[in-house]
Amino acid sequence: MSKISCEEVLVEIEDFLHGELDPPRAVQLADHLVTCLPCFERAEFQRKLKEIVRSKCHSEAPDHLVWRVRMAIRTEHAGGGTEEPT
Amino acid sequence: MSQAEAASASRELEARFEAEALPLLQGLYSAAFRLTRNAADAEDLVQETFLRAYRGFHQFEPGTNLKAWLYRILTNTFINSYRKKQREPQTDSLDETEDWYLFSRMAERGTEPSAETSVIESLPDEDVQDALSSLPEQFRIAVLLADVEGFSYKEIAEITGVPIGTVMSRLHRGRKALEKRLWDVVRERGLVKD
Repeated sequence: MSKISCEEVLVEIEDFLHGELDPPRAVQLADHLVTCLPCFERAEFQRKLKEIVRSKCHSEAPDHLVWRVRMAIRTEHAGGGTEEPT
Repeated sequence: MSQAEAASASRELEARFEAEALPLLQGLYSAAFRLTRNAADAEDLVQETFLRAYRGFHQFEPGTNLKAWLYRILTNTFINSYRKKQREPQTDSLDETEDWYLFSRMAERGTEPSAETSVIESLPDEDVQDALSSLPEQFRIAVLLADVEGFSYKEIAEITGVPIGTVMSRLHRGRKALEKRLWDVVRERGLVKD
């Protein structure tokens, strides 16, 4: 298997962490991270940062919103139905 | 099709829409909040998105990516109406930020690698949300879709209607800009010593 340099790993790390690399390339990167501590630390930093952003940027929708949207859809549906004779 | 059949098909479509699309409301609301930056506009944007989606649902091909389709309607609705309302200046530019910005700043301060992200983790959620919301629109949308909503690059290209290379470039630059803003917040909060 061809060697992969630290420089290459660091350029592709974002795509790797997002699951965007082709499987053979992803395996190459993963193998490198197992043996290279500096790259591993950077990869871990990016991975954790991404996870923190994900968990902190979640806002819970208010309970009434589902109800509000459902009512809007039903009203729209009923509005469309007026074209039909009853 | 008889009128009775048409009415029945229409009811079926409505039921299917409610069953398949409504469970995605939670994620859409979160995204809407990051885009509009306030709860009232986020609620309106979500409702508008669902209404538009419902009107177009008969054209939606079952079995294809409903989630991506809804997010496309959400981002388009935001760009076409809410952005104008908010008079947000449209910036396509971002200051160049070096790669590994946050990692390097932490390392310069001699923070242990294992402790480096704990400073960010200790920030209030609102600070991180504000940092993301402060990015120029196209970068904010890319980072939001990838790192908060978990879409693939290809899905983001479909949602935003730009080539995948553009998605990757916006993501890379958007993430770096977000790191810079997070670093500014960490310093303002006095969580790291100058």
